[in-house]
Amino acid sequence: MFWTDLRRSGVLPGLAMLVAVVALNVWLQPHFFGRPSLESNIATFTPTILVCIAQAIIVLNRQLDLSLGAGVSLLNCALASLPTDIVGGAWTTIVVTLLLALALGAVNGILVAFLGLPSLIATFATGAIWFGLALGLMPQPGGAVDPGLGDLYGADWFGLPVPLLIVCVVMAGCILLGRHRFGRWLVAVGSNPASAFQAGVPVRAATFGAYVVAWLLVFLSALSISAQTLSGDARLGQTYTLTSVAAVVIGGISLAGGRGSPWGALLGALVLGIIANVIYFAGIPSIWQEFFKGLVVMAALGFMVFGQLRRRMA
Amino acid sequence: MHFLPEGVELSGDSLLTPQALPLLSARGITKRFGGVTALDGVDLQAEAGRVVGLLGANGSGKSTLSRIIAGELTPDAGTIELTGQVIAHASPHEAALRGIVIAHQHPSLAPDLPLWENMFLGTERTRFGGFIDRSRTRREAASVLGELGATLDIDAPAGTLTASGQQVAEIARALSRNPRLLILDEPTASLSPAEVARLFDVVRRLTSDGVGIIFISHRLAEVEQICDRIVVLRNGRGVGDWATSGRLDEARILELMTGDPEARLRPHIRREPGETVLAVSDLRVGTALRGVNLELRSGEIVGLSGLQGQGQEELLETIAGFRRPAAGSIVRRGVRVSARRPRDMIRHGICLVPNDRHRQGLFMDQSVGDNLTSVRVSMQHRPWQLPVAELRRFVEQTIERLQVKTEGAGQNVARLSGGNQQKIVIGKWLGVHAEILLLSDPTKGVDIHARTEIYATLDELAGSGTAILVFASDVQELLLHCDRILVMYEGRIVEALAGEAMNEQRVMAASFGRGA
Repeated sequence: MFWTDLRRSGVLPGLAMLVAVVALNVWLQPHFFGRPSLESNIATFTPTILVCIAQAIIVLNRQLDLSLGAGVSLLNCALASLPTDIVGGAWTTIVVTLLLALALGAVNGILVAFLGLPSLIATFATGAIWFGLALGLMPQPGGAVDPGLGDLYGADWFGLPVPLLIVCVVMAGCILLGRHRFGRWLVAVGSNPASAFQAGVPVRAATFGAYVVAWLLVFLSALSISAQTLSGDARLGQTYTLTSVAAVVIGGISLAGGRGSPWGALLGALVLGIIANVIYFAGIPSIWQEFFKGLVVMAALGFMVFGQLRRRMA
Repeated sequence: MHFLPEGVELSGDSLLTPQALPLLSARGITKRFGGVTALDGVDLQAEAGRVVGLLGANGSGKSTLSRIIAGELTPDAGTIELTGQVIAHASPHEAALRGIVIAHQHPSLAPDLPLWENMFLGTERTRFGGFIDRSRTRREAASVLGELGATLDIDAPAGTLTASGQQVAEIARALSRNPRLLILDEPTASLSPAEVARLFDVVRRLTSDGVGIIFISHRLAEVEQICDRIVVLRNGRGVGDWATSGRLDEARILELMTGDPEARLRPHIRREPGETVLAVSDLRVGTALRGVNLELRSGEIVGLSGLQGQGQEELLETIAGFRRPAAGSIVRRGVRVSARRPRDMIRHGICLVPNDRHRQGLFMDQSVGDNLTSVRVSMQHRPWQLPVAELRRFVEQTIERLQVKTEGAGQNVARLSGGNQQKIVIGKWLGVHAEILLLSDPTKGVDIHARTEIYATLDELAGSGTAILVFASDVQELLLHCDRILVMYEGRIVEALAGEAMNEQRVMAASFGRGA
C-alpha cells in the first residue's frame, strides 16, 4: 500500500537522485550533517524551494509560469526601495509587497484562466514586464532592506532555524491544500479540464486560484532572499524561473498536469541546490554548474520517458 | 400539442393530468451546429419511476438531446420543465443541483486522480472549511461501487482502469449524485453481461425509489428488458413515442429509424471488380476489434457501416498501419504485410484518408500544390532531389482529374470549400499510386453537392482499378454509392450485403445486432 502510493506519486527518481547527491556531498564535505552546514544550506535553499513549490502548484494545473523569477526580483526591489517614510515602516512595506505579489499572481491568473491565453507565452511576456518594472525601481543594485528582517531570518525559534520552519509551514500548507476541495479541483483541472468541467468543477476559478496561491509562495521567497541580501537587485531572481521548471521535472511532476506532488518539487529544489554544493567542494569551476544541472534534468526526463514506456507496455 | 376541453378524460400514457406531472418534459428542443440542424423541435418526457428508451441511428440527435437535458449544451429553442417548472441550466453543475445527472458513453474521468476522488469530483463530501472527509467519501464510493457489483480498487488512478472499469466508474459517479433523473448514454457498450445485469438491478431499484431514467442503447434486447416507454428519433426529429410492456415491436422501430422507403432508389452503377487485392482475417485490436474478416477487390467501392464506435475507425487505422493488431493477418495480393508505422503500408499502396481533414488530412497553412505533393515528396527515393517539373505536372493533372475548384496550385488550401479540401486529401495519394484507398467519413461536414462530387471522384478511381473501402456514418450515402456494404457491430463484421439485399432496413437491423 505504502509502496504503491510512493511509486504512483512519481517522486522515486527524485528521491534516488537526492540520496546520490547527498552521498557525494558528504564524501566531499564530511561535515555536511553538522549543524552549521545544515543551517547555512537551508538558509540558502529556502528561497529556491519556495519558488519551485510555486511552480509545482501551477504545473499541476497544466499551466506554467515563466515570470516567477522576475517576480522575485520585482518584489525584492520593492522591499528594498519603497520609501518607508511614505508607506510607514518596515511592516507596512512587507504588507505592500504582499499585496503586490498577489496582484502579480492575479494578473497572470486573469490572462491565463479568464482570457484563455497560453500560459507559456503570457507569463513569458509578463515576466519581461516585471523585470522592466524591477529595473525601473532599481536601475543599479542597492537600496536597503530593514535589517530586522535579516535578524529574524537568521534566528532560531523553538530550537529550529527560521528558514526550516518556513519550509515546514509551507509543506504543511501543501498537505492541507491537498486535502481541501480546492486542491483537488486544482489537480483535477490539470489532469483533464474537460472532465473537470463536466463534473461541475469551476475550472477557471481553479486555475486563477492556482496562480494566486503560487504567488503567495513567491512573496515568501522574495522575503527570504531579501532577508539574506538585505538589498535590492533587479537581476536577483533571473535564474529562479528555469530552476523551478527543472525542479518540477526532477520531482516527477508531469508537465501535462495532474500527476505529481509538491514534495517532488521540494526534492528537485534540494537536488539542484546540493549539486551546486558538490561542484563547489569538488573544486570544479562554477561555470560548469549549469552544465551539470542540465545533465540531472535530462536524467529525470529519462526516468519519465521510461515510466511512460512501462505504463504503455502494461 | 393538444388542448383538451375541461372534463374530458383520456386514458393511456399520453395523458398528463396535473396530479401526474412528468418529472421532465422537454418541448420543441432545437439545436443547430453551424448550418447543420441536429435537433428540430424534439419533445421528450420522462416520468418518475419509469425508464424511457431513446433510440435512433447515427446523427439522429440522441446524444445532443441528452447533453442538452444535462446542461452541457444550451438549446437554440424549446423549453425544459422539471416537475412543471421551466428550468434553464447553463452548466452541468446547475443541472446536477436540480438532480439531473448524465453518465456519458465515453467516460470523462480525470486520469490521474484516484477512482474515489473522481466519483465525488465537484460534489466533494467535506468537513469544516471545505476539507475533504476522506473516510466518509471512500466509504460512500465503495458502497456505490459495491451496489454495481464492481471490484475496483478505489485508490487506483482512473486512467489505469480498463474500459469497462472506467464505464462502471462513470455510472457510479452519476449514481453518487443521487439523481432524480438519470441519463444513461450507451452505458453497456463495454460492460460484461454480468455487469449489465447488476446495472439493471440498480436501475430497477432506482425506479422503485421514484427516479426517472433515460436509457440510450443500441442493444434492442436491453431496451426490451428495461424500458417502459420508447422514443425514436430520426434526423433530429421525434418519429415515435409509445409505451411498451415486454416484447418490442422491432420491425416498427427499424421502420421508424430508417424513414421513408422511397429514398432507397439508387442509380445502378455497374462496376466489374477485379481480383482480390486485400484480405483481412481475424483481425483483433484490444476490445475494439474482435476478429474482423473482409476481402477487397480491385475496382470496387465497399461501404463500411454500423453505428458509431463499433470499431470501424480502428479497423481502417489498423489496416493503414496506425495501430498494431494483437492478432490476425492483413494479406495484400497474396503476401502478408505488417507495419510499424503508416509509411510501411503506404509502400504497399494502402492509404488512409482520415476523418479529421483539418488536423490529420491537410497542412492548412500551405498551398494546394504543397498539399497535393506532400505524400509523393515524403515517399520518394532520393529525398534530396526535388523533381520540380514533374511535381508541377502531377499537381496540374490531379486538379484537372479530380475537378478541384481552385484558383491554382498556389492558393492556400484553407480557402477551398470543404468538398474541394477533401478532394485534395484524396488527390495527394494519387502521387504514390494508391492501390487500396481507405476513407474514414469523407463527407463529414460537406454539403450534398460536394458529397456527390467526392463519390464521383471515388467512382473515377475505382474505374481505374483502385479498391476502395469507405466508412460513413450516413447509411443513405453508402447505399447510393457502394457495390457492397459491410456492417460492423461490437468489433465484428456481422453482415455483408450486396445487390437486392442491400437496403436500409437490413443495414439498420444489422447495426442494432439483429442481422439475418
